[in-house]
Amino acid sequence: MKKLKFRQLFPLLLFALFSTSCELIDYHPYDVHISGTTDVNATNIARIENACKGKRQIRVAVIGDSHRWYDELRIFVKNINNRNDIDFVIHDGDISEYGYTKEFLWTRDILDKLNVPYVALIGNHDCLGTGCDSYNAVFGPTNFGFVAGNIKFVCVNTNALEYDYSEPIPDFNFLAGQVGNNITLHSVGVMHARPGDDVFNNNVAGVFHYYLTQLPGLMCCINGHGHTLRHDDLMGDGVIYHQTASLDDRIFLLFTFNDNGTYDYEEVTF
Amino acid sequence: MSADTIPSDSLKSLLRYRQRITRMQERWQRLIPSYTKVQYAGNMGLISIGGGWSYGRNRQWETDLLLGFLPKYDSDAAKATLTLKQNFMPWKWHLSESFHIEPLACGLYINTVLHNDFWVRQPDRYPKGYYWFSTRIRTNVYIGQRITFKIPQHKRLFAKSVTAFYEISTCDYYILSHVGNSGYPLHELISLSFGVKLQIF
Repeated sequence: MKKLKFRQLFPLLLFALFSTSCELIDYHPYDVHISGTTDVNATNIARIENACKGKRQIRVAVIGDSHRWYDELRIFVKNINNRNDIDFVIHDGDISEYGYTKEFLWTRDILDKLNVPYVALIGNHDCLGTGCDSYNAVFGPTNFGFVAGNIKFVCVNTNALEYDYSEPIPDFNFLAGQVGNNITLHSVGVMHARPGDDVFNNNVAGVFHYYLTQLPGLMCCINGHGHTLRHDDLMGDGVIYHQTASLDDRIFLLFTFNDNGTYDYEEVTF
Repeated sequence: MSADTIPSDSLKSLLRYRQRITRMQERWQRLIPSYTKVQYAGNMGLISIGGGWSYGRNRQWETDLLLGFLPKYDSDAAKATLTLKQNFMPWKWHLSESFHIEPLACGLYINTVLHNDFWVRQPDRYPKGYYWFSTRIRTNVYIGQRITFKIPQHKRLFAKSVTAFYEISTCDYYILSHVGNSGYPLHELISLSFGVKLQIF
């Protein structure tokens, strides 16, 4: 009897196992064992810069803090793919919840289904454990800039608390380099945490803002981390920090940037 | 001096001493691992090596202590991990003189990464209650099956039996990540690992 049961069960189970085994092998949640596409930001930036060349109006959908709201992220992708008025997408950080490797791959795989290119910034949660390494491997450097039309987008790592002074966050050398690059007429600053936030190095909040205002024709700043929609004139100088909601709220910000330096935004529910 | 001239209470105390020593040695002997084990994958490293103890009436319980090796891959350093694992195999089916299978093995294991970037509790620099979870300690549960070959007595060198096993496991993170999400296939939640056990005694 027992032999019979075994003979029926065992080979079946084994077959089921080995047929899917490659996907099932996991060395460790934080192993930074990356499969699939890497350098996502660089690849997509090339696409963005190419597609937006000469454009007088740029339309950008911005989300952030997707954490582990994968269902919502998928709905967002479907929503964007159903429209044809968006040039690219920005995820302003917190791609993951715990910073483990697969979270970066899951979010990447969902966002890769977008018909338009996207870039993703690093959030404080993305720094946990080996998160930074995974972010670097999958998306690229944590500070980066790119040009869409004649607008420069400057994306800055502002998660100072996560680095505990081991690296300069925010990196003023990077910002100074962006300021010096007067190749566009207008700029937008993008970051995960904004000045005043708990993970921001608030000793340099004012200096950071000052550096951003030195960018050519700074139109506005965009940030995440706060999980609620906000539009604040943070430093009282007319530069608005637009804060995205967390993804479970199912709202994205749709910006329209014009080459005369004006812009508009819309809160779009999906 | 002949034996019968030793005072009897001196003999008694010598006997008590011998008994005590034997008891103590027996107790310490229980700490000698009764098997060694090598396991591949399973969210505790690329490869984990260690030993453990079999106990229970039918030796249906096992406790493993495993040292895991996690290569560098795209991170800044290779890492070591440590795993404490409790196994339970309720049944044994004998297929022949030399083979038996354990149709169900199940258990729980706790893994820790031996690396400074991971913490059990969030470091002091964070506001209170900022991250509620630990990045260092992972709790895993598994079910699996085993097949054992009993080495014939005259051919034994270091082990009396060899066991091959596989396990399907999940860890706390995988469950937490998928709560409230409908769109993920099962294979993202579960992990497969293999291993070999050499039963020394």
